[in-house]
Amino acid sequence: MFKLGLILMLVALVAAVALGLVNSRTAPIIAVQKELEKQNAMNEVAASLSPGDSLAFDSLSVSGLGNPYAVCDNTLDVVKVSVPPDTSRIGYVFIAYGKGYSSTIQTMVATGLEGRVSNTTILYQQETPGLGANVENPSKLIGSFNGLIPSEFILKNDGGGIDAMTGCTITSRAVTNSIRTGLEAMNEAGLFTDRTDESENPEGTVMESSTEGGVE
Amino acid sequence: MSLVKDLTNGIYRENPVFKLALGMCPFLAVTTSVENALGMGAAATFVLICSNFLVSLFRNLIPSKVRIPCYIVIIATFVTLVDMVMNAYLPDLHKSLGIFIPLIVVNCIILGRAEGYANRHPVINSVADAIGMGIGFTMAMVILASFRELLGNGTWLNMNVLGTAYQNQPLLIAILAPGAFILLGFILGFFNILEKRKGGGQ
Repeated sequence: MFKLGLILMLVALVAAVALGLVNSRTAPIIAVQKELEKQNAMNEVAASLSPGDSLAFDSLSVSGLGNPYAVCDNTLDVVKVSVPPDTSRIGYVFIAYGKGYSSTIQTMVATGLEGRVSNTTILYQQETPGLGANVENPSKLIGSFNGLIPSEFILKNDGGGIDAMTGCTITSRAVTNSIRTGLEAMNEAGLFTDRTDESENPEGTVMESSTEGGVE
Repeated sequence: MSLVKDLTNGIYRENPVFKLALGMCPFLAVTTSVENALGMGAAATFVLICSNFLVSLFRNLIPSKVRIPCYIVIIATFVTLVDMVMNAYLPDLHKSLGIFIPLIVVNCIILGRAEGYANRHPVINSVADAIGMGIGFTMAMVILASFRELLGNGTWLNMNVLGTAYQNQPLLIAILAPGAFILLGFILGFFNILEKRKGGGQ
């Protein structure tokens, strides 16, 4: 009886030591890779803001911003995008969280200074394969987002102009609405320049951002 | 001779899915595309070989009263090791296989072969059995996944086969859970007919 327990303990001990050793070696590498992956995704998404330039990213802590998502903490993580050596911002990247059919879908969104979305990519989703999972396909839903302003992020079913993917309205609605709420929260925090006059005049936007830059 | 028999045993005569009806959970879950089926098959085969090897190696040291918990610890350890090492050194492969790796723990083929074969046979036979079972499992998944991907998405291994016209209006049920059960029923029925013909209607 005692011997049985001892043997079982021995097996578990060997297993635990092996796992611990391997984990201590792989954990830092995995962490570095996760960070790199995020950086790559940001680079990819933000490339549309200023094609051909290498970009710099700075995290903005947008404090006092109401949390539009139920799933994450109190601040919306917005990343300021600039083209070094110039430090003035040319746009933002943020991650929108939307509760879909079977997962919380994370969408990385790049927007210009005037709040116009320039590119999006799905970072994470676990929707139904063959239906909602197609949300990752850039030629479907998220492909129609480019160039839209916050108020345009409404599905046709809800009275807007965006076509939902066939058979997966819930997924489409989650992505669309999460982007809209994120953009609206950023707008409320005063991150966007006034769309009406500045958007036509690129010099005006740069001026605006360099004088205003107190959000960081 | 017996080694060859061990190796081919799992491929047809005792195919884990079609004949033993083991490992149904991952079988039905990941056969939505051929790519997923191949990935899951490769990962499961690797764990199967490792666990059969170890269980067979220690078959005389582990008392039979505590053998099941020991097997589970061995299998779970291997799965976690594979997960961590793959995540760190082969991130691209991990990205496409990542979700299946935890599923391997609940794959009863592995425990089934440890209990049903490896704990009574020499190491080399056990490894041959694991390779055969792994191939059989992978093959079975690729067969079902081919039907599901072709009917439900119009593609095979991400290649467009049935044309865009079909892709716009595919037989969606094939790729959903009910389609997996229906198609599995057809395949099992087909194998039963085959068996009956061969056995001379016993």
